[in-house]
Amino acid sequence: MSTYKLLKSEIVKLQNERLRWLVKYVYERSPFYRRRFIDNGIDPDNIRTKDDLKKIPFTTKTDLRDNYPLGLVSSDLSKIVRFHASSGTTGNPTVVAYTRQDVESWAELNARCLEIAGVTSKDVVQVAYGYGLFTGGLGLHYGAERLGTKVIPASTGNTKRQLKLMKDLGTTVICCTPSYGLFLAESARDEGLDPKRDLKIRVGVFGAEPWSENTRKRLEEQFVESAHDIYGMSELNGPGVAMECKMKEGLHVWEDHYIVEIIDPNTGEVLEPGEKGEMVVTTIMKEGMPLLRYRTRDITILDDTPCDCGLNHARIRRILGRTDDMLKIRGICVFPSQVEEILMKTEGVSPHYQLVVDREGVMDRLMVRVEVSEDFKTDRLTDLVKLQQKLEEELKDTLSIHAVVELVEPKKLPRSEGKAQRIIDMRKL
Amino acid sequence: MIKQLSVFLENRPGRLANLLDILERHKIKVLAMGIAEAGNYGIVRLIVDKEGEALDVLRGCNMAVNETNVIIINLNDLTSTVKILGNANINIDYAYTMDCQRVVLKVNNEVEAVKALSASGIKVLSARPD
Repeated sequence: MSTYKLLKSEIVKLQNERLRWLVKYVYERSPFYRRRFIDNGIDPDNIRTKDDLKKIPFTTKTDLRDNYPLGLVSSDLSKIVRFHASSGTTGNPTVVAYTRQDVESWAELNARCLEIAGVTSKDVVQVAYGYGLFTGGLGLHYGAERLGTKVIPASTGNTKRQLKLMKDLGTTVICCTPSYGLFLAESARDEGLDPKRDLKIRVGVFGAEPWSENTRKRLEEQFVESAHDIYGMSELNGPGVAMECKMKEGLHVWEDHYIVEIIDPNTGEVLEPGEKGEMVVTTIMKEGMPLLRYRTRDITILDDTPCDCGLNHARIRRILGRTDDMLKIRGICVFPSQVEEILMKTEGVSPHYQLVVDREGVMDRLMVRVEVSEDFKTDRLTDLVKLQQKLEEELKDTLSIHAVVELVEPKKLPRSEGKAQRIIDMRKL
Repeated sequence: MIKQLSVFLENRPGRLANLLDILERHKIKVLAMGIAEAGNYGIVRLIVDKEGEALDVLRGCNMAVNETNVIIINLNDLTSTVKILGNANINIDYAYTMDCQRVVLKVNNEVEAVKALSASGIKVLSARPD
């Protein structure tokens, strides 16, 4: 692995050098970006430092869709060695293309991620992200191999077999979505295992969906010694863009590969570190399909202060929500993560929930369906009603809108082995 | 003391049938039942012949279920019972009838309730038919 423990000044220097290279590279090779530059009167020679980025328009998911499949590829097609694609539930899938060098970088960044979470070559890493078009599985697989660990490419699903492999092969690191992590722990208990005693999982690498501090608490109480958040998306290679170190106070973005800006999603204005907004990323090392100022639709906060772990790569706060996950209910922004926070700290309910939005006349209604936990100790209806009212009050305080809480029986809400399907929007707009 | 099982159920067709079906398949007999509902959910309270087994079976089916102490008296003793409990400052949280002759009472202090009733000559019954 090349050294990534860089001084802040080294990072800034690399970022500016690589940005200048990138701007020239896409101007010369990408018809899409060349047209963008010309249409907006941008001279690539005028983009010298990070501060000049503002002059460049954003690249959006819509740009990727409109130029499906390969309109944003900058390198020679002959240099492309790999495609991945997103699910495309809302139209054309998004295809991303990698050169050999891109796959190398991707492996390197994932190896770094594992390393700063405390994974070493002695570990047995079970990758329970999907392998295939989805980048989660292969990304962490490459990273673990690069670090020299033993890898179990378990992929998603078949929970019984996952648990058996963990037990029989002595898995010490699990990589999966946080909701699947909780599900694995629950399933282990159903099989009479105490995950903390009968399994030996030191590190959990949880990503691909936003999660909360309370989820970390649960995962660490029930499943792994240390739970770490990993961030990425296929447009930016896949997982491995940012990772929590042992301090767990934000995710370090590999700034020698990515330049991060936080913007106001409504105005596009660049915000200061510490302000909450949409993360915009420029890939300064990618060759196959580099992106300039890509709008991730993820909401977070940039933290440029030094980290106690010693790394100088800036951190982002855990993802607070997505601009497109964000539910607009009666004009108010609601993030599922806000609901999750409340459920996690409330005794008597499980962290499994569903948000159902519908419209009665002209009024939007939000219903939060929550599972009562199996060990809920009461025979009194009033206790249940109190629980329901307490949740409704806390939701109202946090979300600023009234939500109806519906208590459902344990394990009645659908479990997902990939990204949890937590929002049902029945409004006909 | 008699143990009552309280089961959290969603208030929609088929849920109660499912619960009773599980008990029947495990040859557990329901001796009394009361339902309290609040909108889309409710609590089903049951007196069964084998409560320990029933508890395990229902938990095994992922149901939210727990045990509560209750007392059973003769319907004939109802008027005097509520008077005695009222005088002893013991609250009856809820009650339901069992066959045609008995009443299941959940009180806020069952030990004191049994003492007060026995002292006044009210017979506190077992769950099994006499």
